[in-house]
Amino acid sequence: MEFKDYYKTLGVAREAKADEIKKAFRRLARKYHPDVSKEPNADARMKEINEAYTVLSDPEKRAAYDQLGQGFQANQDFRPPPNWDAGFEFSGRGFSGADTADFSDFFSELFGGRMGRTGARGRTRFSARGEDHHAKILLDLEDAYQGAARTITLSAPQTDDQGRVGLRERTLSVRIPKGVHDGQVIRLAGQGSPGMGDGGNGDLYLEVHFKPHPRFRVEGRDVYAALPVAPWEAALGATVKTAVPDGTVEVRVPEGSQAGRKLRLKGRGIPGAPPGDLYLVLEVVLPPASSPKARELYQTMARELAFNPRQGPGA
Amino acid sequence: MSEEYIVTMLEDAPLSLEELAISCTVTPEWIIRHVQAGVLLVEPGPDPSCWSFTGSDLRRARRLLSLERDFDANPELAGLVADLFDELERLRVRLRREGLVSE
Repeated sequence: MEFKDYYKTLGVAREAKADEIKKAFRRLARKYHPDVSKEPNADARMKEINEAYTVLSDPEKRAAYDQLGQGFQANQDFRPPPNWDAGFEFSGRGFSGADTADFSDFFSELFGGRMGRTGARGRTRFSARGEDHHAKILLDLEDAYQGAARTITLSAPQTDDQGRVGLRERTLSVRIPKGVHDGQVIRLAGQGSPGMGDGGNGDLYLEVHFKPHPRFRVEGRDVYAALPVAPWEAALGATVKTAVPDGTVEVRVPEGSQAGRKLRLKGRGIPGAPPGDLYLVLEVVLPPASSPKARELYQTMARELAFNPRQGPGA
Repeated sequence: MSEEYIVTMLEDAPLSLEELAISCTVTPEWIIRHVQAGVLLVEPGPDPSCWSFTGSDLRRARRLLSLERDFDANPELAGLVADLFDELERLRVRLRREGLVSE
């Protein structure tokens, strides 16, 4: 396990005052906010920043961390000595398992199991419902049409019988029903943190996102794709065959179509009640004038059509 | 050895007030306060025990919570920022749809 230098993560001195730490955290939280940040790895950086702030903003944890961390450098191999936390009391204030579920194993080892230990040592039986966990799952668009079985690996801090904390990995096979769409949240009852005493397990919530698809774009339940057509197919109309997420369709390109025209295939978007629509956006592709015959055809059109695409407003 | 789970979609089985509170590790009062401030739940009825929350409500509640906690924002300001994030996401989807940005 590597030692984490939380002061370095937040860019503050070891003797920084509470308000300096808060200021540094906010500056970084703004910079790496996953919804606005253009920084690479903003998500991962935000987790590190949150973890560092969780420790340094809590006087109890900070004091324990300071005592423990003397002489250690970031990334140095680290193993906390037995009973390192003797003499410290942790109230668990200011953070929750839901927030800390994806913190590093360094954090879990140090602070992850306080409530568990208190419960084990206490005379009265301690009961608490396990925390809910939140995670994201990436699916292919085709999964939304057909449903999918997905194996997810999760790791979460867990306390063993001796009160020692470790990260436990577990694998879940999840059957995703068809019709799932981007941004939707699915729930797995009882798959969050284990409860203590008579408390039940927490739940696991998975936020669904689609992997970027080379051809299809998704908006809600509607799906968009470009449909390349030849100029004569657009001008004269044609029936063309094209691949869609759940197979192949034949679509009628109406006569006189221009590039950008949207053809709507009602109900062929993501399944549901009601299902979404599939939109094919026409893209007129010109054949290259690479042979004498092709050049001659273009020259004939130029001569005989008297067509100026720059006529009209804005041209 | 893995176990197979059939999942529940929150659109089909929304969360109750208490379930949402547990899931966000806040009190039910926190949820009620935010619904009454008009920043969570579209067109809520008068009785909190009849409210139900879908996946987008859950994501919004967690977003509000994190904005308030990280930046000491009040509910209205957090609601405004969350609205702007939603709008940003809608515009990004449009840009991608028009092919003006890469994924």
